[in-house]
Parts: sequence; C-alpha cells; structure tokens
Amino acid sequence: MSLAIAGMGWVTPLGNGVDAVWERLLRGDEASATPICEQFADRSYSAFRVPESAVTGLAHPRLRRASVISRFAAIAGLEALQAAGVKVDSQNAGRIALIFAISNGGVIYTKRFYRDVVETGAQSASPLLFPETVFNAPASHLAAILGVTGTTYTVVGDGAVGLLAIKMAEDVMMDKSLDYCLVVGTEEVDWLLCDAYRRWRLLRSAPPIEPFGKQKRGMILSEGAGAIVLAREGPITVERAHPGGCYRKRGEAEEILKRILRDVSQVEIDFVISSANGTFIDQAEQGALEQVIPDAITYAAKPALGESVGASGLWQVILGAQALRHGELPPVLHADPTISLRLARSRMAVAGARRAVILSSGVNQQVAGLRLALR
Amino acid sequence: MAQLGSTKGVKTSERVAVVAAGVVSPLGFGLAETLNSLRRAKDCVTAVTRFSVAECHCKTAGQIPDDRLLAGLNTGLRAKRLHRASHMMIHALREAVMQVPQFEPELTIIGTTSGGMSYGEQYYRSLCRSENLRHAPTWIANYPAQKPVIDAQEEVLGVSVPCQVIANACASGTNAIGHAFECVRSGRYQRVLTGGYDALSELVFTGFDSLQASTPEKCRPFDRHRAGMVLGEGAAILALENLELARKRGAAILAEIVGYGISTDNFHITQPDPSGVGPRHAMERALQSAQISADEVDYINAHGTATIFNDAAEGKAISQLFNGVPVSSTKSMMGHSLGAAGAVEAVISLLALRHQFLPPNINFEALDDSLDLNVVANESRSAVVRMALSNSFGFGGTNASILIRRVEA
Repeated sequence: MSLAIAGMGWVTPLGNGVDAVWERLLRGDEASATPICEQFADRSYSAFRVPESAVTGLAHPRLRRASVISRFAAIAGLEALQAAGVKVDSQNAGRIALIFAISNGGVIYTKRFYRDVVETGAQSASPLLFPETVFNAPASHLAAILGVTGTTYTVVGDGAVGLLAIKMAEDVMMDKSLDYCLVVGTEEVDWLLCDAYRRWRLLRSAPPIEPFGKQKRGMILSEGAGAIVLAREGPITVERAHPGGCYRKRGEAEEILKRILRDVSQVEIDFVISSANGTFIDQAEQGALEQVIPDAITYAAKPALGESVGASGLWQVILGAQALRHGELPPVLHADPTISLRLARSRMAVAGARRAVILSSGVNQQVAGLRLALR
Repeated sequence: MAQLGSTKGVKTSERVAVVAAGVVSPLGFGLAETLNSLRRAKDCVTAVTRFSVAECHCKTAGQIPDDRLLAGLNTGLRAKRLHRASHMMIHALREAVMQVPQFEPELTIIGTTSGGMSYGEQYYRSLCRSENLRHAPTWIANYPAQKPVIDAQEEVLGVSVPCQVIANACASGTNAIGHAFECVRSGRYQRVLTGGYDALSELVFTGFDSLQASTPEKCRPFDRHRAGMVLGEGAAILALENLELARKRGAAILAEIVGYGISTDNFHITQPDPSGVGPRHAMERALQSAQISADEVDYINAHGTATIFNDAAEGKAISQLFNGVPVSSTKSMMGHSLGAAGAVEAVISLLALRHQFLPPNINFEALDDSLDLNVVANESRSAVVRMALSNSFGFGGTNASILIRRVEA
C-alpha cells in the first residue's frame, strides 16, 4: 500500500512554512545559533532555536499554558492540513488519524516541574505543569484544536522516530474507514538536553555541523516541527516504508542500515536525504550508502537546520518531497571536499528525479528508512 | 467500525492468537504468582520506599521488590547499568519466550509513559547539587523509552527487532496491544510482540499527587467513598500470532484478541468528559471491531483508577452499554502502573479466561450511588468467562478497549 503526501507543514529555526524554508535552504542559508544558559550551571551551549515571535500567532485555549513543543506541532499540523485542503469538521473528525513522533518531549516544563520538587519539595509541584510533561500532551492539544475523535498515537524514539511514525501511519491506514493520517514530528530544545548530549560526547560547543567528517565533532541541537498529511491518492507517495531496526552497539548500525537500504532501493534511486549530523551515525550511513547505492546523490540538511531529533525524520521527508517536486536539491553545508560520497555540494538540479530514499539514524539505537516516489 | 477489506489480493481479516504471555507486577513474578494473588485478592500496595514521600498526600504504591527483580539476571556490568524498567521487561519477555522459544517476531509494539524517568531524575538532582556526574552517561543512555524494549530483546531474544513505542499516557499498554492486533489482523504481519511497561518514579508520583488524583487511603474503585488512585509499576508482554499459522505449527493458543476500539474525547488534558462519551466510544468500537454484541461480554476489567472523575465517566459508559456484566478494577490490588496497566490487565483478563474466574475489586465497601455496576467485590469468584473486555484511558482524552476471547483447547 502506497500512501500519498497530500500536504506538508514546517516550523524550523530558518523560518515557518514549507516554501519559505525551502527557498532559504536552496540559497544555502544556515540557521543562526543562539546561546542557552541555565541558572545553576556556568556552562552554556549553542542551539538552533525557533524565534518566539514565530509561535505567538496561534491563539487557542488549549495552547494557553502549553509549552512551545505543542505550539510548533500545532502550527506545522495546521499548515499541512491547509495545504492538503483538509478541513476537519464533525462529519470527518473520525476519519482522520493523528500520529505524533517525539523524542525528548516537553523537556522545558518537565525540568521546571521537577526543579520545583527538588528545590522546594513535593508540595510545590505544579498541577498545571505536570500534564504538559506527558509525552502525548502535544498530540492531545492538536487533537482538541482540530476536533479529531478517533485514532491518536504518540510514538517515542530517537532521531529515527519520525520515519517509524510514518510506518505506523501506513499500518493504521489499513483501516479503510480512514481518509487521512496527519503525522507530526516535534521537538523543543533546552539546556538540559544540550548538557545530556554533551556528556554523551555527541554535541559540539558551537556550529557548524560537519557531515560525514573524519573527526566526529558532534551535532548542534535544534527545534521545531514537521507535519505531513498522508492520503490515499497524490503525486508524491511513500512507496516503501521499512519497519526500521535497532542496533545494539554503534558498530552494528551500518549493517542494519545496509539491510534497510537494500530493501528500499530495489528500484533506481535518484537521491538520498541523509540524517548525517556530525556524530558516529554519519560513518554508518556513509558506509551503507557506499556499499548499497554508491551512485545516488546525497543531501544532508542538519548542517543548515540542526539536529531536531523527534522532528528530524519529518523534516527529511519534507525535503525529499520538495526536491522531487521541484527537481532541485539544496547545497550540503560544511562538508569536507574529500568526502567520497556524491554530495550535493552546491544547489543541484535533479530534474526528472523519480525516487528518493530517506534514511534516519538515531543516536539511541534506532534506524529507519523509506522511499518516496513521484508519480 | 474498522472496515477490513481486501488490499492487493491480500486477505485482510486474519484472526489473532495470543500464543504466550509474561508479566511482572506487584501481584507477582509470572503468570502463576499473578493468578495466585488474584485468586487470594491480595492487597499488594505498600508504603513507598524508593523515594521520599514525606511531603506527598499519598504515601503508598504497588512496588516490585528489587531483590527479586534484580536477582538471577545477568550480573555483568551492562546489566547493572540497566534501568529497573529494563529488568521488568526482561522478566516479562523471558517468561513469554519460554512458552514459545521458536517465536520470531517481525515487530515489537510496546506502551510506556515515562521510560527510564528515574535516571533522568538522578541526573537532574546531581546537576543541581553539583554532585559527582560520573554516572551521567549511563543515566542518559538508559533513559530513552525504547531502551528497555531493546534491552529485553537483546537479553532474551538475542536479536534486534524493529520496535514502535507508544506513549499515549495511561492508555499506552492497551493502545500497543490494540495496534499490534490490527497489524496481525490486517495480514501485514504474522508475529508481533506487544505489551507495556513503567517503573515507579518520583516525578510522576509527585505529579499525580499535585493533581490530588492520588489518595492517602486505600484504592477503592467505583466505591462510594473512593478518594483517588495509587500508583504501581510493572511490565507485561503478549506474543501475538496469526491464529491460522499458530494452529498449523501446533502452538498452544492462550486466547484470541478479537476487537480493538480507540477514541479521543478532547474534553480536558487530565479529566474525562463526564458524559462518558470517550470510554463509551472506545468500548463500542471494540465491540464493532469484534462484530459481537455487548451481551456476549462476560467480564470487564475496568480502567477503574478510583478517582472521582474516571470512575464516574467509565461507570456511566459501562452501564449504558452493558447490562449487569461483572466489572472489577484490579488496580485496587496493585495500583495504577500507567503504561504497563493495559498490558498487565490484558494478562489478568487472559488469566480470567483461562482459569474461569472473575478477578476481584478489593477495598470495596459500597457502590457509588450514581453508578449501576455489578462490581466483583473483594473476592474472586468462579464464573464462566468466554469474552473479556479490558479498558484503559489516559491524559489527553485518549481511550482504548480490547476484547479477548477464550479459545477452547
């Protein structure tokens, strides 16, 4: 079963809106890093953040107390539905499924809630903050805004979770009573996350992200949301979604990626949207790509947009769909010229491209892949 | 109603067997201990020992003792680093796999709400107090929600299986089983491991306490004097297989999952619609999905948290749909294990079907005047149980119900 992408929505540190972000990427723009500090720590980090002004326009009672992660998701989800021409009403509310991909969830409010418990005791714990710490809070807010009454799932995982959510959407859409599935990936950045990834030696102190570099200098975190509306018919399809895999040790990631790539590249592949982010996963993806589809052009957006973890898979799918639709790939930023992969080193025409592979490798043991096709 | 048709010539309405199950909860380690606790109506809620609850309204929870949880497992350095949730998953999966050693899952679908949350708490506390952060990489690596699933697969199966982790708050476990059921029923998968897990954590405990959802008293679902929930923890696994294929290979079939219903009521992020419309739709959809009528259900394992609002909404929905069907909330015995609850309660329903009894709703004195329910009060009862319904509802207005049928040997 192939599902079509009927609409897309995008909230990124480079701006909101699919066409606007796409234009900036084609121009070779890169998000600006901002420092993130914490009151109890001397160390600060750099992250690509969505400007606060970009998420203040959406007024809904359910978002009044919600964290930015829910606002990102709502803006992207509503853009995707509008682009698909889908208006949710009482007649079709049960015919639309909602699937969320999340990695770290509402970390800002979780930290704030627990800080009160640690600093002043359990009696200070906020009953207003606690519900926002739950993984499915963003999904429940968007379901309430839209009035969706049927299937709503929040899927949790690492950077691969966006593609796993799309695979789940494919399974959910086996129910023929459903017309659409809105898949949203969303993430917010906090100092705590930066510190955690730094202690895990996966974060670098300042940009750039250098994809596929020999030295794994690390990633820069970012935030935002990506959303796609999956429908029964449309010009761009998710032609093949692999159920993904889990690597036990980092050294196994490449082998599992090869299996996934072999599965999704049984037809000619024109280009690949890689999830290279300056960490160990780049080596695994490079090794798999060179072995399985060495001739495919590879694009990696994380040097421009940052590592948005739960949102990143959806961002990659939007990029793949845009490239198929427009016949162009943006330039891969900060890539060493000696890298042996066929990278899109400058804005590159891929006119006539029919198929793209999206490869998502998470740093917490999950990998996934899918194939998009232009009909 | 899920309309299952034919897609590209693939038959898309397969029957779904439960061929193995494993469980660890405050009720016990494994199916036999769980059955024994259920039959004896054992109260497994005890004073919280894992963290200080001095400032909390509620002081109790259903807890799994660490001495048993960690005993007998791999004692290597890696095993020591694993989160308690991973150990729970390992116990549950090991029990299930021992029943079907040849089971090769294509997919694992697991529900949880908080992953390795207590490691996140340790990390944050150490940061705030400028304490030694030598163990921080271990805490961070073992915190993600998928980690206990991958750990259990590695430890028990020795292979990596694609996994989907559903975090739909307290409905997660039932959602995971329901989605796994749909995956096998659609014909897209033959064998799926499913279930749920959650380990007690301070953040979640204080969260429910801050909402005044938890009680300093006994947990009394559907009782006139109910005052709230108590938390619990646990893990449960079900191995689902295409029933026809399971029969062909001569597998023992523990039960059949026949229906799944999901609904979202959008009323409030923490409270159900008082009309009971969300739970009612989930139960109705499960009945429609199974193509059975309400009078074919012999037992309902209710969500029954013992909060004022949940039990009122769920009780209303049950009485609107069912006429005097025995109902119990086994949370009264072991607390609410959140993402594990739906999976543990599916196993309890399976035991009720296998052993022909009704699990009890303990601490029960008198039915809430506004409810019309046939509560299995305080003691388990022998009964003919051919079909069981298990409910789970969660924050965000997410509601899920599954129907499990007895399969004659």
